[in-house]
Amino acid sequence: MKRYILKRVLISLFTLLTITLVLFLLLQLMPGSPFNDEKLNDDQRAVLNAKYGLDQPLYIQFGRYVVNLTRGDFGVSYNISKNTPISQLVQTRLPISIKIGGMAVGLGALAGLLLGIVAALNSNTLLDSLCTVVSVLGVSVPSYVFALALSYSFGFKLSWLPMLYNLKAPFQSSIMPSIALSMFTLASIARFTRNEMVEVMGSDFMLLAESKGVSGAPLIVRHALRNTLIPIITVLAPLIVDLMTGSLVVEKIFSIPGVGSLLVTAIQSNDYNVVIALSFIYSAMYIGIMLAVDILYGIIDPRIRLAKDSGGDQPGRPGFLARWARVLGISKPKRKAVSALE
Amino acid sequence: MILMKRLLVGALAGTMVLSMAACGGNAPASSAAPAGSGAAASAGGTLNVMVEVEVATLDPQIATDGTSFEVIANYTDGLMQMDKNGKAVPALAEKTDVSKDGKTYTFHLRDAKWSNGDPVTADDFVFGWQRAADPKNASEYSYMLSDIGQIKNAADVIAGKKPLTDLGIKAVDDKTLEVQLNVPVSYFQSLMYFPTFYPVNRKFYQSLPAGTFATSPKTVLSNGAFVLDSYEPAAQSFSLVKNKNYYDAGKVKLDGLKYQVIKDSQQAFMSYQNGDLDIVKLSGDQVDQVKDDPELKVVGAGYLWYLTMNSHDVPALNNVNMRLALSNALNRKSIVDDVVKDGSVATYTAVPPQFAAGPDGSDFSADQNKFKDVCADDTAKAAQYYAKAKKELGKDKFSFELLLEDQTETQNVAAVLKEQIEKALPGVTLNLKVEPKKQRVEDIQNGKYQVCLTRWGPDYADPMTYLGMWVTGNDNNYGLWSNKKYDSIIADCTTGAYVSDPSARWKAMYDAEKIVMDEAVIAPVYTKADANMIKSGVTGIEFHPVALNRVYKSAAKG
Repeated sequence: MKRYILKRVLISLFTLLTITLVLFLLLQLMPGSPFNDEKLNDDQRAVLNAKYGLDQPLYIQFGRYVVNLTRGDFGVSYNISKNTPISQLVQTRLPISIKIGGMAVGLGALAGLLLGIVAALNSNTLLDSLCTVVSVLGVSVPSYVFALALSYSFGFKLSWLPMLYNLKAPFQSSIMPSIALSMFTLASIARFTRNEMVEVMGSDFMLLAESKGVSGAPLIVRHALRNTLIPIITVLAPLIVDLMTGSLVVEKIFSIPGVGSLLVTAIQSNDYNVVIALSFIYSAMYIGIMLAVDILYGIIDPRIRLAKDSGGDQPGRPGFLARWARVLGISKPKRKAVSALE
Repeated sequence: MILMKRLLVGALAGTMVLSMAACGGNAPASSAAPAGSGAAASAGGTLNVMVEVEVATLDPQIATDGTSFEVIANYTDGLMQMDKNGKAVPALAEKTDVSKDGKTYTFHLRDAKWSNGDPVTADDFVFGWQRAADPKNASEYSYMLSDIGQIKNAADVIAGKKPLTDLGIKAVDDKTLEVQLNVPVSYFQSLMYFPTFYPVNRKFYQSLPAGTFATSPKTVLSNGAFVLDSYEPAAQSFSLVKNKNYYDAGKVKLDGLKYQVIKDSQQAFMSYQNGDLDIVKLSGDQVDQVKDDPELKVVGAGYLWYLTMNSHDVPALNNVNMRLALSNALNRKSIVDDVVKDGSVATYTAVPPQFAAGPDGSDFSADQNKFKDVCADDTAKAAQYYAKAKKELGKDKFSFELLLEDQTETQNVAAVLKEQIEKALPGVTLNLKVEPKKQRVEDIQNGKYQVCLTRWGPDYADPMTYLGMWVTGNDNNYGLWSNKKYDSIIADCTTGAYVSDPSARWKAMYDAEKIVMDEAVIAPVYTKADANMIKSGVTGIEFHPVALNRVYKSAAKG
């Protein structure tokens, strides 16, 4: 296990560095500069470039950036908040985004699970169809539309919740954004849970458990759910990432002082340092989550834990493409047939 | 099944808890409609204002955008301020003496205090202006001191060739400031209300850790109508409260200002409708909905949308008659009435109306018919110019690429322009090319375009901010047009014969403008207006197309 984790961590670090380099290069290709191009003449531009070290050759700029990164110095913003250290900008905004994202994940996962279980237990009835409708809506309607609808109905017409993020009422202000963000996760997990559970319910070990006399809640929770949860955790990881990116639009609508809106503004105004810093943070979060899921997977599923020995990738765990195929519902998981009689 | 029931009960309970948490606590309606309605017990009230972007910086010598300027000016006074018509009137400079040759200004400061008790002294201004010129700060507005203000040695100080102390500003004593200019500048006093020229308390600035100035209420001092109450860099909401120690506190009726950054125009409008905002700026399509609402107020924004034509690289556009044909083929009235629809004004002059007033107080471009023989919505005239152009160029089919940025309004206008031109000038095809703004700006600055729909906003309240663009070699002379007579008139107006004679200068600027219009260097289209909704009962907000977009000093909430 240890070698496995170490290997994954090293790969992650290397990936982060590569991402930063690619971003750096991409930003150089963007037209214009972080400064007011229309009104500056060439002399002024030269002075500004010199001040921020933008006139140095690329490899020096990148080298200096990486060195500063190891010290925790993300640089300064050029035009969103001139000369402000980015770490200062991010440290107030990141917790807010994470909180809303976390609420959305929690809400989406729990509600999706509930919905999926309900659908699975009543498969092929009206309730199941209703849940399917909810799932389809949740997956196909963009979070932007949900955000606007919620804002208009609960925020504007009914005035139950604040339309714009209010620093003095953070919990209330986070409800609508979280719900809007969670819809996709909710729908995906509901669908996935339903399918998985139906599969699990029909499998041999469930038959054995039922014939042993286990029924009702213990049957579902201890036997069916545990087996269903494993693949759900696997698909939750890319969904969490989706939440991080989906928050960009929702943050704009509710004027949430989070990192999503900061990233969009930075891209539009060529604020290089902010774009790289935030992309770096997002990448780090994503890689971290994938790593955690991989480790969690190994812990939860005893088949994996016991089947594995030294290093190598985990056998029995579906690869990247296979996992996404399952999320999208293209393929069904292959299950080792465990005969109850053996 | 029991499990089913338990699940449903759980879900129901969860929903109830959630809605209780939402409705319980404090009724969001009252927390959302903040201090303004009722919570501020006194008559003043807090004005709830929105801006579309975050404040870029509160450092007066580094700021360049309207939002930052507006907020800085709320809590800082400079030598002069604007009256409601945009004319410069005394602020901290109680009295101004101008020398006979117009090159020396002596400002006599009134008694005023900073919010930490220090008196406002002439040295505060010296320090502020030196910061603007300091090459280490790389202020993007340093050209206000050198090119526009013509302050002695400013250009050299900015280039690092002379020390800061050589800058042509001196504190004669605590209350007297002396400024030396290279040449007389007739609009110099109106530059004094730009935040670039605001004072900074030297002792306070130097007592702060490096890089922290103007990043929070504790790192900034106020000598203006309000005091910064809550703020952090790139804050989405921040507030100011009335400055009790302001020298003119009697005139300030509000208790405070609450700013909110809202990027989505629909959300902004809804916030206005449910009382969270007292003033909101509308987007073009929203104006249509509220056309007859008494709360609608349209104000000139002063910036001109125009077509620039690349006469340098496109042979057909090098022909004057071709350019004149394009300019007259437009139907500007239809564009502002049917496409833009927000009170923007059709423009037929190179210098837009509504922002620059002359020695006699009148708007430079009040008469929009001044050049109607070369610039009008006249397709017959356009056809005549076109016929001449075709003959001179020996062609009768032309294809031009119209470059524009990816904003909704611009794209709508361009689509209509294309239609108008192609209909009035058969044989001309206009191909639209849409680019992100930064790309568009880069392209026209590098001459990589044929025709471009672009805009220019005034930097200061004088026509020269426009006319100066078309001097040979100017960075913003996108068509690379060149005319020696034009250059000499402009030189006379800025540093030559006319600097000491405002009315001769004014007339000369008209002569210069005539050259631009006769040669159709640009084809002006419309001058932008902002459509605002203001709650009835709110009065006294001043709108300006230059420098400070909105001034709340005299605002009241009724």
